[in-house]
Amino acid sequence: MRGLLARLRRALNPGRILRITPVGRIYLVLTIGIGVGALNTGNNLLYLVLGLLLGTIVVSGILSERVIWDLEVRRLMPDGVFADEPFPLRYEVRRKRGQAFALSIKESGSIASPGAWAPVVVGGQPVVVRTTATAPRRGPWALQAIEVATSFPFGIFEKIRTLRVSDTLLVYPRRGFACDPDGVDRTPPRGDSGSSRHRDGTADLADLRELAVGEDARRIHWGKTATTGKLIGVEREREERRQVTLSVDAGLSGEELDRACEDAAGQTALLLARGYDVGLDVGRRHLRPGHGAPHERRILSALALVGFGDER
Amino acid sequence: MRGLVSRPPGLLSRDLAALSAFGAVALSGVLPLPVLIIFPIVFVLSLLGVRPLAGRRTVSVIVLLVIGVGLFAAVALSTLDLVIAAVSFATLVTSHRMLAEPTPQASRQVLLSGLLLVSGGAALTGEALFALLLTTFFLTASWSLAWLVLARDEAVLAGGERQAVSRQLVVGSLTTLLLGVGFFVVFPRLSWNLANRRGSPGLGGVTGMSDTVKLGGGGDIKTSVRVAFRAELTPNPGVDELRAYWVGRHFDSFDGSEWTSSQRPLTPAGTVVLHRASRRSLGQLSQDIELTPAYGSRTLVAIDTPTFFARGRGVSVAGTQPMPLVHVPGDQVFGANEANTTTYMATSDGAAGVDQTEPSPAASGLPAGLDPRVAPLADELARGATTPLAIARQLEQELKRRYDYTLDLPGDVADPLADFLFVRRAGHCEDFATALSLMLRLKGIPSRLTTGFFGGERAGARYVVRAGDAHAWAEAYVDGAWVRLDATPDQGRAASGGRWAALVAQSWEQLEDWWRSRVVDYSFQDQLSFVRSLARPPAIAQTQSSTLSLPDGSAPRAVLVATGLAMLGVGVWLASRRRQASHPAADFLAEIERRLEARGLDVRSQPLEELSHQLSLAQHPLSQPLAQACRRYLEARFAGRPLTPAERSTLLAGLETPRR
Repeated sequence: MRGLLARLRRALNPGRILRITPVGRIYLVLTIGIGVGALNTGNNLLYLVLGLLLGTIVVSGILSERVIWDLEVRRLMPDGVFADEPFPLRYEVRRKRGQAFALSIKESGSIASPGAWAPVVVGGQPVVVRTTATAPRRGPWALQAIEVATSFPFGIFEKIRTLRVSDTLLVYPRRGFACDPDGVDRTPPRGDSGSSRHRDGTADLADLRELAVGEDARRIHWGKTATTGKLIGVEREREERRQVTLSVDAGLSGEELDRACEDAAGQTALLLARGYDVGLDVGRRHLRPGHGAPHERRILSALALVGFGDER
Repeated sequence: MRGLVSRPPGLLSRDLAALSAFGAVALSGVLPLPVLIIFPIVFVLSLLGVRPLAGRRTVSVIVLLVIGVGLFAAVALSTLDLVIAAVSFATLVTSHRMLAEPTPQASRQVLLSGLLLVSGGAALTGEALFALLLTTFFLTASWSLAWLVLARDEAVLAGGERQAVSRQLVVGSLTTLLLGVGFFVVFPRLSWNLANRRGSPGLGGVTGMSDTVKLGGGGDIKTSVRVAFRAELTPNPGVDELRAYWVGRHFDSFDGSEWTSSQRPLTPAGTVVLHRASRRSLGQLSQDIELTPAYGSRTLVAIDTPTFFARGRGVSVAGTQPMPLVHVPGDQVFGANEANTTTYMATSDGAAGVDQTEPSPAASGLPAGLDPRVAPLADELARGATTPLAIARQLEQELKRRYDYTLDLPGDVADPLADFLFVRRAGHCEDFATALSLMLRLKGIPSRLTTGFFGGERAGARYVVRAGDAHAWAEAYVDGAWVRLDATPDQGRAASGGRWAALVAQSWEQLEDWWRSRVVDYSFQDQLSFVRSLARPPAIAQTQSSTLSLPDGSAPRAVLVATGLAMLGVGVWLASRRRQASHPAADFLAEIERRLEARGLDVRSQPLEELSHQLSLAQHPLSQPLAQACRRYLEARFAGRPLTPAERSTLLAGLETPRR
C-alpha cells in the first residue's frame, strides 16, 4: 500500500519543469496564428501545417521525456575545495538503456556553477562531465539536488528534471598568506624528518597482518589476500618528526572565526612544508600531530567544520 | 566547394528547409519575379558559404525594411495582394538571414521565417507537390533544429554518437509526420470563413476559356499536359482516344483582332435545356464532368452537340455545395459561382442538325478594317462550289490544305488575320477558325467561332482532357442548323506534348486527384463519415464462395498488427540479449546498496567503504553491520571465499534492523 502511494505521489508530482525557450515562444505564436488562419479560412493545407506543428510539439515532449527519464546522475566530489576558489565539479551520468541527448547538468542549490554539458549519453556507458563551481565561504555545504535539463530534440522547450542527490561538500577555509605561529623553531629539519615524501604509512614495510574491521581498504595487500584467502593489510614504519599543535578559539563567531580558521589553515600548510608534524586543538576536537596530505586534509576538514556544530 | 564540405551538419539542412519553404510558395506562381530570382541566388551563395551580409547587419536591415515598406505600400494601393506581399517579405527575410553570419540564432530565424513561407504556400496553392515540399521542410527543419541544440559549446560528436542522434531524429521526424496526419484528420473542420481565398490553379494549366478570343497570342497552352477536366461517359465509347469536340463558348462578333459574344446571360437555374434530342439520334450521350482547378474558368463544356446541363456542384474549402447554372443564349452555359472544382452532368446528341438556334445579326457581320485581299481569296478557295454547305466544306478543306499549323507566332501584330493568310501562311487553331468564319460570312453564310477542346484519352473508367487539348473551330449556319467546320490541320488539334510526358502527367494527375479529394477538399462531412466508419466497421461480405474472404481494410489491418507484434517480439529479444550474468558478490553489493538507500543513506555519490568509514566516525548504528558486510563482500569478490545463503541473509538482516 505504501509503495502504491509512493508511486502515485511520484506520478502526480513527476518532478518535471517545462520551460519555453525564446525560439519556442515564437514557434507557439506562429502555431496559434496558423491555427487561427486555418479556422478562419477552412484551408485544409493550413490544417495540415497546423497538424505538423502540433505533432512537433507532442514529439518534442515525448522525446525530451525519454531523454531525461531513467537517468542517474551522481556527483564525483572533489578532494579539496577552498572557499572563493573555482573548483571542478564532475558528474557521472548514466542510464541503463537507450540514449540521452543534449543534457545540461547543474546544481539546484546555492553553489554557483554554469552547468556541465553532455551532448550524448549512451545506455550502459557512463559519461563523466564537468563544470566549474565556486563556494563563497568555508563550511559544510549541503548539496541537495541536481537539475538535469534538455532542450532536445528541437530546442522549442526545455524540460528540467530535478534529481534528489544529497551530498555534503566540505569547503576548506580560504587560502591566503600565513605568519609563523609563536614558539615555532625556524631551523631546518634534521635528516629525512622534514621530507614531504616520507608520509605516514609510506615508509618501509613493517608487518603484514589481517585487516581489521573498519580499516581502510587501501591498505589491502591484494597479492597476499588472493594467496591466503583472507584480507591482509600492510603496516609500515613511521619516523620521528618535530611537532606543533595549532589552536583555534571555538568561542569566536562569524567573520572573526572564519579569519582564525583561515590563519590556522595557512599556518598548517606552511609548517607541513617545513617538515613539522602539525596538530590542531579546536573546541572539543583534538587532532594529534601528524604530517602528509591526508593529515593536512583532516586538519582542513576540522577547520571547515568549526562553528557548524560538527567539531567532533 | 570548400565551404560546402566544411559546413556544420545543421546548416545544410537549414538551407534545404529554406529551399523547400520557398518552393512551397513559388509553386503558387504568384510570387513577384524579383523575389523568384533573388532566392535561388541566395541559396547557392549560402550553399557555397558566401555570406556578404555578415558584419553588415544595420545597413542590410534598413534596406530590408525599406523593401518591406514598399511592398506593403503596394498592398495599401491595392496593386499587390496582402498574402503575396507577406510571403514576398518573408522570402526576403529568409534570404537576409541566410546570407548573414551563420549563428544558431540566425539559423533559427531562417527556419521560423521558412515556416511563415510554408504557411503562405498553404494559403496560395493546392498542388500535390506542396505535400512533398511541406514534408521536406519539416524533416530538414527538424534535423537542423536538433543539430542546433546539440552543437552547443561547439561540442564535436563521435561517429557512433552521430548515428545515435540520427536514429533518434529519424524516429522523431516520422512520428511527427504521423501525428501531423492524425491531427489533420481529427481536428474539427468548423471554419469561421471570414476571409476565405480561392485556391490558385498553381503552375501550368488554365485553359484560356475567357470572355474573348484575341488573335495574335502564342500557343503555349497547347504544350500543357495538365488535366483540365475529367468525364465519365454513358454509354462508354470503349475507345482509348475519344477524338471528340467538346464545346465551350461561341463568339459571333469580330472586330478585326478580337472575338466577343453579343449574347447576354439569363437567370441562374438548376438545369439548362439547350435543345431537344434529334429524331435521327439513336440516343443521348450522358457525361459526368469534373472541371479541375487547372481549368480556370466557369464555362461548362460538353461533347458536341450539348443538349442538357444539370446537377451542378461546386467543391471548395467550405465543402461541396450546389452550383446554379447560367444559360447564355447561343448554347453557352457556365457555373454561377467560383469553385476549385466544379462537377455537373451534361447530355449531348451526336447527330447533325441538332443546334437550330437562329444566328444573331452579329454572326453575319464583318470587321470594318478587313483586309481587301481576303474576299478574293475566299472566292478563289470556294471556286466551283454552289450550295452553302458545299462552299463551307470546300473552304474548310482548302484552308487545311494550303496553310500550315504552327505555334511559333510573333505575338501582337496590327492585322493578325492578314498576317496569317498572306505573310506567314501558318497559324494555330484560332487563326484557322477566324479565317474560315470570315470567309463564310464573305460568301453570305452566317458563322461563329467556337472554343472548347478536341480529344479525350481514357484513364480508367473516365476520359481526361488536358489543357493542351484546348481548341477553336468555326460553325456555319447552313440549312437551318449549325454545322461544325474545322479548318485546322490534324496535327494541331490535340495537345502537342510528348507521349512520355503525357504518361508521367497522367500518373501525377492521379496523385493530384487523390490529394484534392482526400486532403484539399477534406471536410466536416468526411470527418463524420470517418467517425461513423470507426463506430460501425464494414460488415464481412457475405459471399457464396466457400473460400474465406476478408472484409475491406482487414488485410492492411492484419499486416499492421502482424508488424506490431513482430516489432514487439524483436524488442523483447533484444532486451533479453542485453541481460548479462553478474557475479554473486555483485548482487550482494547491489542488495546492500538498495537497503542502505531504503534507510535514507546516500550510496551513489561515494564508495561504500567511504560511507562505512563516515558511519563509523559518526558512531552510526549501521556502521558495524555495514563494515562486516563490506568486508565479506571484498572477501567473496576478491579472496575466493563465496558467501553462503545463510551468511548472506544474516548480513543483510543486520542492515535491516540496526543494533541499538
